[in-house]
Amino acid sequence: MKVLVVEDDRTVGQFVRRGFEEQRYQVDLVEEGKEGLERASQASYDVIVLDLRLPEMSGIEVLRTLRDRGIETPVLVLTAQDAVESKVQALRTGADDYVTKPFAFEELLARVEALGRRPKEIVPPVLQVADLVVDTGGHEVRRDDGVVELTPKEYAVLEYLARNAGRVMSRTLITEYAWDYHFDPGTNIVDVVINRLRKKLDQGRSPKLIHTIRGVGYVLKAE
Amino acid sequence: MRTIRARLAVGYAMALGATLLVYAGIIYIAQGSRAFAELDSRVRVESDLIAAILGESFRARERVVVADPLGRPVLTPDVASLLEGVPGYVIVVGAERALLHLSAEARSLPFGSARALIDVAEDPVTGGFGLVDLAAPVGQVRYFVRPISEAGPNVAAVVSAAPTSGFAVSPPRLLTAMLWTIPFILVVSLLIGYLLVGRTLRPVDLIVDEVEAISDGRSLHRRLAEPTSYDELARLTITLNAMLSRLEHSFGLLRRFTADASHELKTPLTVLRSGIERSLTHPTTSPDVMETLDETLLEVNRMTELVDSLLTLARADEGRAPLHLDDLDLREMLAELAETASILGEQASVQVSVEVPPEPVRMHADQGRLRQLLQNLLSNAIKYTSAGGEVGIGSALEDGKVVLTVRDSGMGIAPGDLENIFDRFWRADPARSRTGSRPGAGLGLAICKWIAEAHGGSIEVQSKPGKGTTFTVVLPLSPDEDESHF
Repeated sequence: MKVLVVEDDRTVGQFVRRGFEEQRYQVDLVEEGKEGLERASQASYDVIVLDLRLPEMSGIEVLRTLRDRGIETPVLVLTAQDAVESKVQALRTGADDYVTKPFAFEELLARVEALGRRPKEIVPPVLQVADLVVDTGGHEVRRDDGVVELTPKEYAVLEYLARNAGRVMSRTLITEYAWDYHFDPGTNIVDVVINRLRKKLDQGRSPKLIHTIRGVGYVLKAE
Repeated sequence: MRTIRARLAVGYAMALGATLLVYAGIIYIAQGSRAFAELDSRVRVESDLIAAILGESFRARERVVVADPLGRPVLTPDVASLLEGVPGYVIVVGAERALLHLSAEARSLPFGSARALIDVAEDPVTGGFGLVDLAAPVGQVRYFVRPISEAGPNVAAVVSAAPTSGFAVSPPRLLTAMLWTIPFILVVSLLIGYLLVGRTLRPVDLIVDEVEAISDGRSLHRRLAEPTSYDELARLTITLNAMLSRLEHSFGLLRRFTADASHELKTPLTVLRSGIERSLTHPTTSPDVMETLDETLLEVNRMTELVDSLLTLARADEGRAPLHLDDLDLREMLAELAETASILGEQASVQVSVEVPPEPVRMHADQGRLRQLLQNLLSNAIKYTSAGGEVGIGSALEDGKVVLTVRDSGMGIAPGDLENIFDRFWRADPARSRTGSRPGAGLGLAICKWIAEAHGGSIEVQSKPGKGTTFTVVLPLSPDEDESHF
């Protein structure tokens, strides 16, 4: 998938580009509205990620000009204002979705994926770690070929770990994924879910798949 | 408003009452003196008449006094019979205080009364008017003593008298009449005054209503109708309009500030967040660094939440905070909450139960905000309940409204604190602030209250210290379109 990111803040821009590249997206990053408009008019992108507040030419102007030129590429706007007016203005001008800053990358990714109508083959809907199978399409989990019944939160945590198998994921990142980052339970709520997952997945089986990284979080891997 | 009306009406009635009393007093005195003047002229005319009869008789016969068989001086019989024609009490006194004549009426008085009248008559030195009290039924008597010189040396003075009762308006009667009529007049004038003042103050009422409608935060561009006259109320209207203009201006500044602030604060937060997230997910980052980064990310999230809450409340003050209304199933949301609740409960060793309705509950509401409301109340309840306690979330449908209750068996809230808990930045125990065992900025319940009210609902709290706390949220299934802000 080919994505154009128009974001004047270098840190945010680089972060988004790197995240997309890890998903094997082809990413063009520009920092100015005018340049973004030129690129969008010339090349064909699957999705455009557009910051609303840009120096000189604002995101809304870029968006309006794009639509006036008849370019119908899906546009996801980034906005710092959760004021309804600015979102409504963006949507009326022709944006397809928006994400409010600050955002978790997973959220941005999910929305861009939805807009880009990404072909199924690129991300396998079935994740596998050793003999554990997570079917992201049907939300079904199997180990030893037996179906393991999981609650929604247990499934969400497991899916997040399985998507990032072999990589240590911190508690806060896992919490954000399974709940949303507005929710601050003030406790290590993830530890409880992990305990439940261990009972259902690892107990009496070998190898153990869920590993604790003390003080940080968890990793799903075979050894 | 109502008190001014009542106060003015009462003041008006009291002023009228005082005027009436003064008026009645003057009438009373004037009436009395007029009656006396009439009485005086009558007794004087009578005495003049007697003096004239005596004088004429003396000039015609040289003699009006004779000796009676006992040798006492009396009026001659023909003069005496002439005097009998004069009505009232008449006494003629001769030289050396001799009692020359008593009229028939005077003679018919009881002895004591006759004596008192004779005493007055026998002391004719000063002359003139006077009052004397006689026994009942005659009562007070007005008399006039007239010295006589024209009837010869043997006649000294004539006294004529008449009872005042027939003339003076009897004081008790006047008073009674007044005592009956004044309260009646007062009641009537109180009513009239109340109505009149109400009429006068009605424009003020209208102004109050209009200002209320304008100052709800959403209609600051409106103004009161321009007055056509230049009275006190017109000046009030002009002043209020000027004030509204200034208010609108400062609200505009505030609005611009919140819009700017959200950008100025959220962009650096995004930069922070993306930097942390990037480092956290980088394969070469060591666990030590990850731990620190993860704590930082948590704080960034808390700060984001705080900024978001502050801006939401700031906009809510203007009546402009946004709701994204959508159709949703409350049962689904409660089922999801039930799992979170059981996880949080396990963590805190608190028994948590969530009543999930048996049927889907279709609602038109802001899903994110509603979840935030329930999660806030739930995590609060667990936070303030010690291990071994209980937390329960209940739901019920009551005439088109959803009643959600979150109760705990926690430490409870002191009665004096109950009214403050929905205030911003308010915390029961200031010592346990952000860094304490129960962190939080103190905005959670303020946000909850806003969420409930923005949906056209309400939130209430009941608590017994040491026993527990119950929050009750009542939400309409579908908020009134006028009340929702989007």
